Amino acid sequence: MSNNVMSEIRKDYLYHLVMNDERADGRSFDQHREISVETGVIDKADGSARVRLGKTQVLVGVKIQPGEPYSDSPDRGVIITNAELVPLASPNFEPGPPNEHGIELARVVDRGVRESRSIDLDALCITPGKKVWIVFIDIHILDDCGNIMDASSLGAIAALMTAKVPAEQYGLGEDWFLPVRDVPVATTVVEFGGVLMSDPDTDEETAADTKLTVITTADGSVCGMQKRGPGSLSMDHIYRIVDISCEMAKEIRDKFLDV
Amino acid sequence: MDEKLSFFKDGIRLDGRRPGELRPVTIEAGVLERADGSCYIEMGGNKVIAAVYGPREVHPRHLQKVTRAIVRYRYNMASFSVEERKRPGPDRRSHEVSKVSREALEPVILTHYFPRSVIDVFVEVLQADAGTRTAGINAASVALADAGVPMKCLVSSCAAGKVDGQVILDPMKDEDNFGEGDMPLAVTPYGEVTLLQADGGFTVEETREAMEIARKGCEQIYEIQKKALIDRYSQLEDPEERGSGV
Amino acid sequence: MDRIDRRVVIPGELLAEDPKKAGEGTYVKDDKVYSQLYGLVNHRDKISVIPLAGKYVPTVGDTVIGIVGDITVSNWIIDINSPYEGLLHISEYPKRIERDEMAKYLRVGSSMMIRVKDVDSTMKVELTLNDRRLGTLNTGRVVEISYTRVPRVIGKGGSMISMLKKELNCNMFVGQNGRIWVNGSDEDMDLVLKTILIIEKEAHTTGLTDRIMDFLRTEKEARS
Repeated sequence: MSNNVMSEIRKDYLYHLVMNDERADGRSFDQHREISVETGVIDKADGSARVRLGKTQVLVGVKIQPGEPYSDSPDRGVIITNAELVPLASPNFEPGPPNEHGIELARVVDRGVRESRSIDLDALCITPGKKVWIVFIDIHILDDCGNIMDASSLGAIAALMTAKVPAEQYGLGEDWFLPVRDVPVATTVVEFGGVLMSDPDTDEETAADTKLTVITTADGSVCGMQKRGPGSLSMDHIYRIVDISCEMAKEIRDKFLDV
Repeated sequence: MDEKLSFFKDGIRLDGRRPGELRPVTIEAGVLERADGSCYIEMGGNKVIAAVYGPREVHPRHLQKVTRAIVRYRYNMASFSVEERKRPGPDRRSHEVSKVSREALEPVILTHYFPRSVIDVFVEVLQADAGTRTAGINAASVALADAGVPMKCLVSSCAAGKVDGQVILDPMKDEDNFGEGDMPLAVTPYGEVTLLQADGGFTVEETREAMEIARKGCEQIYEIQKKALIDRYSQLEDPEERGSGV
Repeated sequence: MDRIDRRVVIPGELLAEDPKKAGEGTYVKDDKVYSQLYGLVNHRDKISVIPLAGKYVPTVGDTVIGIVGDITVSNWIIDINSPYEGLLHISEYPKRIERDEMAKYLRVGSSMMIRVKDVDSTMKVELTLNDRRLGTLNTGRVVEISYTRVPRVIGKGGSMISMLKKELNCNMFVGQNGRIWVNGSDEDMDLVLKTILIIEKEAHTTGLTDRIMDFLRTEKEARS
């Protein structure tokens, strides 16, 4: 039997809380859980970050290696983002190659990094047309207690901001910091019982039909969005979510990503 | 003539250890929320996390055994855990490591208490520094106990190696890559061997020496595993007892 | 009288040299008694180990809280928070109903207090609702704790649960499978649930009953 059958009594309780403007853990609707970001946790990686968002835990490793450029951008570096939703992190994750959730997560995090032009790809050229730096962003989920999307995105940018290009070991000069020019932050909001809630935990994610993730840059512009789930959202809700997200992203950026 | 790379200087190894010395080991039990049991271990530069789910229903059902639980073990290395970024997913090596690791723990798990179910063990290597499979088995043992899985005892594991013709305990990366042999071992506190592999060149005498030195290493690791499990509950010691200097 | 010496033991730890003393949670090897669990040692006429963690395994006669996960031709498949699902056959429903009416009475997601009627050697678990004291749970809340802490929530002779019901004016039912149902005012239910989580966390300590009483008294005073 799947682990996903939420009892009616539990769902009723969550609705009841929402009607009283409450959440199960006592947070307000626009509050995120406690966050901690630790960088430089994997010495073998060129950049790394371990993010805790409530009880959710995610580890992101950045490895930078020389490789071939894409033929349509012969003098620019390459970004490759992958997410492993390993079975260790949740009873709902199965071993095997990434399924649609893992792929979606990686692509949304990638969108944030890429569309914000946060990494100066021109600076990652070694020999035009032949050799460029490839930046691998590998997301490893450790404990899924809700909203691994935001935790992963936060981990990715934190790891990139502290990453060093390992030029020395390839005889390409001294090691230098990866040039990161913007700080994209993703925030996810779910709609449940007509109410919008930020940073959903496990139960809220299971109970809610619809989620919207918005990625904003340091100057407050939107560089990525993704609506997830089988439900729908009104235009008004979406405009509100974008506003909420900008504010929360700014707070997280200022507090946890020392620019 | 080139000077041959020497692994010893005045009897001391490259990282400052004596031949029979283990790298520093730290173990913490109960580190994850979703898993039924979990354990995080650092063994030298190895950073490994293990989680246990189960006993739980088996899917697909045809894998069920009517009289006992089946045990599954999945050893996986994160892409960023090694020097050159590794393509995600299992390769032939991780399949082999998963198999021998499972077989290192199966002898102690009392599977007959849970027919028609599965006990899943997941080991993720977050950073590798020679000896990841032994670190995995150590963490998995603790995670199984943490999950409340009935077992005869814990299993403890470490490897012996051989460099410059000498048998050493717990090789680090360079000793493993450039040495003459590697022998991972796992034992129960009763001294029963549940994992034994070897590659390289050991004489019969060296084989005995290596097994003996590895077994001693396992004894030390056992104490650390035990302490990690006991510490998990001792922080919640009741206030009346706290005063008596426990 | 039990003496739980609160000593935490791990699997494989030596407990006694007399094989006749082997109780629950232990095994005998070479005439010595060893723990097979991560748990607390309990000395009575035999030595046993009370688990600190683990999965609930249904026993005949247990009353548990189940959630309907699926409905087949003549059975409701019930999640009983165990590696084993429970089967509630249509004939074990207290009223005579037709096969096509099953979802009408118990649909996926419904919670209920239910009893374990039979468990066979392959762990096929049969449940029953045929008892006035059993039935669906439509109001109130359900919380899930480790089944290993259930005896502590109930207390010796029901002392802990009686105290909670009385002090907080709540209706309560503790399932052997670690699921607990409470019903009362919102405020009272909040406090009961908070208290249950404290009991779960500190179940292995001494003096718990008194600390809980103090806690409840303080919380209730703070309210008024």
